[in-house]
Amino acid sequence: MRERLLNAAGRGVVAVLLCLLVLPLAVVVATAFDASGAVAFPPRGLSTRWFSALLASSTWLQALLNSLVVATGTSALSTAVGVAAALGVRQLDEGRRRAVVALAVLPLLVPGVIIGVTTLTLFSQFGLQQSYVALVLAHSLWATPLAFSVIQASFARFDWQLHEAALDLGATPIRAFTGVVAPNVRAGLAVAALVAFVVSLQEFVIALFLSGPDTRTVPVAAWNSLRQSLDPVVSVVSALLLVAVVGLVVVVGALAGVGRFASDL
Amino acid sequence: MLELDDLTVTYGDLTAVDGVSLNVRDGELCCLLGPSGSGKSTLLRAVAGFEPPDRGRVRIDGQDVTDMPPHRRPTSMVFQDWALFPTKSVAENVAFGPKMRGVGRADRRAAAQEALKLVEMTDYAEADPTDLSGGQQQRVALARSLIVEPDLLLLDEPLSSLDRGLRETMQVELKRIHDRVETTMLYVTHDQNEAFTLGDRLGVMEAGRLVQVGTPEAVYTDPVDRFVESFLGSPNLITCRVVDVDEGPTVETPFGVRVPAPVDPDRLTLGDDLVVSLRPERLSVTAVPAAATDGGTGASVLATVVERVYRGSDVRLRLSVDETELFVKRPIGADGGLAAGDEVTVRWAPDEATYFDTSGARCR
Repeated sequence: MRERLLNAAGRGVVAVLLCLLVLPLAVVVATAFDASGAVAFPPRGLSTRWFSALLASSTWLQALLNSLVVATGTSALSTAVGVAAALGVRQLDEGRRRAVVALAVLPLLVPGVIIGVTTLTLFSQFGLQQSYVALVLAHSLWATPLAFSVIQASFARFDWQLHEAALDLGATPIRAFTGVVAPNVRAGLAVAALVAFVVSLQEFVIALFLSGPDTRTVPVAAWNSLRQSLDPVVSVVSALLLVAVVGLVVVVGALAGVGRFASDL
Repeated sequence: MLELDDLTVTYGDLTAVDGVSLNVRDGELCCLLGPSGSGKSTLLRAVAGFEPPDRGRVRIDGQDVTDMPPHRRPTSMVFQDWALFPTKSVAENVAFGPKMRGVGRADRRAAAQEALKLVEMTDYAEADPTDLSGGQQQRVALARSLIVEPDLLLLDEPLSSLDRGLRETMQVELKRIHDRVETTMLYVTHDQNEAFTLGDRLGVMEAGRLVQVGTPEAVYTDPVDRFVESFLGSPNLITCRVVDVDEGPTVETPFGVRVPAPVDPDRLTLGDDLVVSLRPERLSVTAVPAAATDGGTGASVLATVVERVYRGSDVRLRLSVDETELFVKRPIGADGGLAAGDEVTVRWAPDEATYFDTSGARCR
């Protein structure tokens, strides 16, 4: 009896937490459909006019494109570096591997403002400020430790004897990786790429420092536009980003296998 | 064919393989036999290129491959739990080697079919390897290694995770395949029966060292030291005291009987310990009255039967002589229907026993 009550209470807490997480998102999505110009909840009348406004705005479309380019670049770079690093730490003994894995997450503890200021100073030396390259490199500082952790965890569960078997049968190290290792750790690789992508997509502070008029990402564009007035297009963009991220998670989950996906996260 | 010269592999402070030199002849099936931790698997992995040696050379067909990466070596390995690729079908697993060598799709499919035929697995070409039984996976792993026509096939306890009946079937099968393909094989096992069934020659390993190499018969009948004797023969080891050296070497057993020990007298010192090893199958047992007539050349002692175990092919007796236990293995019918509690005479021929000093070295 007591146990059942506790179970019910536990479920109630989880339900409340989920609501707290999901409701603000629902509010954002709802305000995107508000017919009036005000960002308000509940919406007064439904309309898709702000979606049309978004499509008509070259600034917003450019920002969406910028975000996609930077997030894709960050995802590719972080995953590649994460794979290389995870392969590298395999050669270390247990103690050193743990130390490196722990040290690797340190960049996550550096505040975005500091990364923003310092990378801006650095990249300006090479005339790279306001470029995609600068944004991708700076975002990768944050995304790579996350990608590395996920990949390292999935490598730790992989049976490396399969890798040896591939080498033994004449596969070069690269073909052994692409032909045998990658298909077996694809869930981990997909999750790492996804995490890096989302980290870049939502990152604001670093992008604020490093982006220029032509490379402004969505969060920076939203901030710019909100500084002047409450622009309903921001709600629309937020809703679209939300749908995009959820869609990506679903697609990656389906491709990589839902069970493995959850275990690698 | 395969030449190992002073091969040494260390992990930190641990010397896993310690100065091993070995020649494996062309077409030979050579077994490396030893208890777990004796370094036999590490030795095999060093030959495959997975463990860089600290010292020594590995040569295959006269070519020094010591510094060659695994994928360029003319070897192929069958792993202990087979290491089949779980994301590929059986046929894709077998065709992997040819694919890596740039063989075209149609040709490698045909080659895979041929290899699967050799191991009688053609019906499972499209199966998922994880759905196969242990014995079937073992066959696929063998086909996957043989298809690349290695100069040297390495097998790392490939049958150890199979149950006993299947293991014996697969031993016969492996022997058949070896006769047919005539590939040189280096086979690691901790199972003496397996090494004896399969090996043209065998090498016994202890603590990283290769202590003896020879045909199964030579190694079994003429062990170089006490370790090989114990590992292969499960003998009765009796620590005796040397009581006479010059007038025909004689030792006294812990149960008081003095017996001749035909050993080079130069190896013996009066009062030292000498370990006498008696193989269970070389002890004969007779009911007490017969003991009255001792031929004088043999050694005999009175004992009591503690336990008699009927094993179908033989009978095993556990005897006690004072504090000492003796194990005896006799053919069916040769023990005269003894039962627990019977008094018996145990007899052995001193020149059929083997003798070791306290360090374990053989005394001849």
